[in-house]
Amino acid sequence: MIKEIYDAVMEGKVDEAASRVQQALDAEAEATDILNKGLIAAMDVVGEKFGEGELFIPQVLWSAKAMQAGMDLLKPLFSSTDRAEKGTVVIGTAKGDIHDIGKNLVAIMLEGSGFKVADLGVDVTPERFIEKAMEVKADIIAMSALLTTTMPSMGEVVRLVKERNLPFRVIIGGAPVDQAFCEEIGADAYGMDAADGLRKVKGMLGR
Amino acid sequence: MKIQVPREDLLKQIGYREPPQPKLLKMADEMLGLLRDLLEPRLSFRAIQGDEDLPAFLAGAVLKYVGAATLGPKLESKVKDLFDEGKAAEAYILDTAGSIAVAKAGDILWDSIRQDAATRGFKKGLRRTPGCRGVDLETQRWIFECLADRGLGIMLTESFMMAPRKSLSFLARFGGKLKATFSCKGCPQYSDCTLRSSKGMI
Repeated sequence: MIKEIYDAVMEGKVDEAASRVQQALDAEAEATDILNKGLIAAMDVVGEKFGEGELFIPQVLWSAKAMQAGMDLLKPLFSSTDRAEKGTVVIGTAKGDIHDIGKNLVAIMLEGSGFKVADLGVDVTPERFIEKAMEVKADIIAMSALLTTTMPSMGEVVRLVKERNLPFRVIIGGAPVDQAFCEEIGADAYGMDAADGLRKVKGMLGR
Repeated sequence: MKIQVPREDLLKQIGYREPPQPKLLKMADEMLGLLRDLLEPRLSFRAIQGDEDLPAFLAGAVLKYVGAATLGPKLESKVKDLFDEGKAAEAYILDTAGSIAVAKAGDILWDSIRQDAATRGFKKGLRRTPGCRGVDLETQRWIFECLADRGLGIMLTESFMMAPRKSLSFLARFGGKLKATFSCKGCPQYSDCTLRSSKGMI
């Protein structure tokens, strides 16, 4: 039964993923098995295949949606101490930048992979990133920029995190951003694309 | 202005080199149909007279132009709605189609400027978008002051971004000698440039 859930997510079949999860629950399968061996295992492979160029963004989004449909049925079964989420990520587009498609895709992939995501939208000030990360007890702050002119505010977020000794890791991405800039501002990681970003987030949290 | 986005161009932009599954082809066709209904393209350009207070890219040119084009606000509003409705794949495909469409609007704008220049005896010209090498993003303000009476419906944010987002603007020059600082070859992304790649130059 877990195999059918896995396949439904792999193939991006939203309704089927939900109905298979429901069937598994009705058959008293362990919620953690459904989550880890079915939904998350499939999404991990989808992410890998995307990174390798075997799958493209629409297929990843379908799979993420299928995973989410299954997650919605599982969430009530996890107590507040037994978190279904792998971690919490605050995400947004850097101050001055209004481009959000890439950031939205990363947010969906993170959610699809079991992370809790607080999406601050576009044109987010450094203070707002920090404020929200503290509010939701985030593990990671993820920032995106499409233009070189908006990249410096990413450095400001890193500076605030370090200056205040806050427990957040920072990952950055976007077309003009690269590893050299990541090192220059002292961010913890650079995501070359959505799949790489997801991989780095998982790596930073050891999940 | 008629802007058409072929399905093949859209699929290629998304990454597909081989025909994808029927489900995706169907969605691509639906989004291209939607795009046609949402487009409200406008473009305008202006020949610049005089040599005072020019952006450096235009300095020394014989013919100087500013131009801008937009697809209008309906497209990005629909993309947002689709994301909000949880239809992320549709939103992504429609947005990608819009990116191709605005590039085509830019090509139409460029052709119009070149035709105008040709009537004045110039065939070869160069264009640069603010934010590209040697042209500060702040140049947007100057461009849109030059086009303020054209009713394009493009607004600039505090950080000189254009709204609607599916808009573009550029400076164009014909004749005269261009300073080397504007050459693409000095750009760190020269060998990895998406624009040059899309034009088959890489």
